[in-house]
Amino acid sequence: MIRRLCLSLVAAGALSAPAHAFDLNELSKYLTPENIESATKIINNTVEANQVVGPRQEVIMGQNVMATLLGAAPLVKDAALQRYVNQVGTWIASQSAQPQLNWHFGVIDSPNINAFAAPGGYVLITRGLWNQLRSEAELAAILAHEISHVINKDQIEAMKSSNRGAITEELITAVLNHKVQGERLDLAKKATKAATEGLYIKGLSKDTEYAADLNGMLLAARAGYNPYAMVSMLQTLGNVSPNDSAVALFFSTHPSPQDRIDQIDRKIGDQLEAYANGVDNTARFSKISR
Amino acid sequence: MKPLVCALLLLIAQSALADSGTVIRNSDLREKPFSDSRSIATLSSNSKIEIQKNQGTWMQVKTPQGQVGWIKLLNVRTQSGTRNNGLATLGNVIKTGSSGQTVTTGVKGLSAEQIQTAEPNMAEVNKMESYSSSNSEASRLARQAQLSPKKVAPLSNSNTNVNTPNNGRRP
Repeated sequence: MIRRLCLSLVAAGALSAPAHAFDLNELSKYLTPENIESATKIINNTVEANQVVGPRQEVIMGQNVMATLLGAAPLVKDAALQRYVNQVGTWIASQSAQPQLNWHFGVIDSPNINAFAAPGGYVLITRGLWNQLRSEAELAAILAHEISHVINKDQIEAMKSSNRGAITEELITAVLNHKVQGERLDLAKKATKAATEGLYIKGLSKDTEYAADLNGMLLAARAGYNPYAMVSMLQTLGNVSPNDSAVALFFSTHPSPQDRIDQIDRKIGDQLEAYANGVDNTARFSKISR
Repeated sequence: MKPLVCALLLLIAQSALADSGTVIRNSDLREKPFSDSRSIATLSSNSKIEIQKNQGTWMQVKTPQGQVGWIKLLNVRTQSGTRNNGLATLGNVIKTGSSGQTVTTGVKGLSAEQIQTAEPNMAEVNKMESYSSSNSEASRLARQAQLSPKKVAPLSNSNTNVNTPNNGRRP
């Protein structure tokens, strides 16, 4: 069904023969003109142009991935905490290569330890991870790591490389997800979940994670934090037993904390020492984590 | 009630200070957290140490012989599976009023199964977006928190690239 839908949209995008009009008519029951346009662009970009997923598509993908993750665990009901994490995250992102992206941050109500980023500027950390943090600089290290994933488009690249054939379906359903009804809605949900599972249960490559640590440390330093809080945060996580179910998904989707520290040691070492006197803690962190 | 919370927090602070670690390469134990500070001793690889606190790239440690000094943060591997679980549990008791589910269960957590069975929740995405901060608000509050942007040169030997802003606002 979805494949047929995709073909139809490619056809629509290419202003093709009337033979496809029937499919298009059927689609119009489910799609708004705006959605058709977005979907067509995505198809064109991924199938024809073959590489590019544009900013608008990234946001749609991000929203749909977030809907699935937030469906698994909702936001912590603490508006002050949510606003605080957004203030810190937005400040860090404002020092990045994409300060104008609409960045959104959140803490989800899960005792497990993990953090997630999705295309378009969406970042979540779990309450379990928040509870482990000892300073704002450690929070900054995590957010900067996730911001780096977004800026490097790591999730999009992973989707492309891991399943080129299915990516188109996943993208198109992400666009359809909250507009369609009935049978197609189920299909859309399944495909969005498939995309989310692919990204967040399989995880990214080790090299991608190491690069996000290094980029994250640079970004944290640029935002005025002590970048070595990344190391102390990883040391804390390294102390949680791998048998602890709270870290099961985190450990299955990331290199071990010690391997990450070893990479930081090899690639950065003392190079950022001049910034180690940056901010570690703040009154606002102490107030919110009290 | 308050003194009890304070006492518990103090307990957490103290236990956090008592983490242990292992030196992973021969390192100088220095009097102060500076490379040109006087060396008190040389700690050999695999020496056990007690961690007192972090500062910048340094860690204040105590040796089994009772010497206290500073060694490079990256020269220490912290102990695995020790007191931190207990620490997290106690932290949760205070923060959430629950009974420290972090270490006991993954059932309520964000697990692979939960992602697989999740019903997408777009309303929650809208809620997340409602907590956003503007760049100007984030900058103002960052200044209040003594944060200021720093110029940081790209690293040698790595492919880091978030370090090049494209907005012409590099501080």
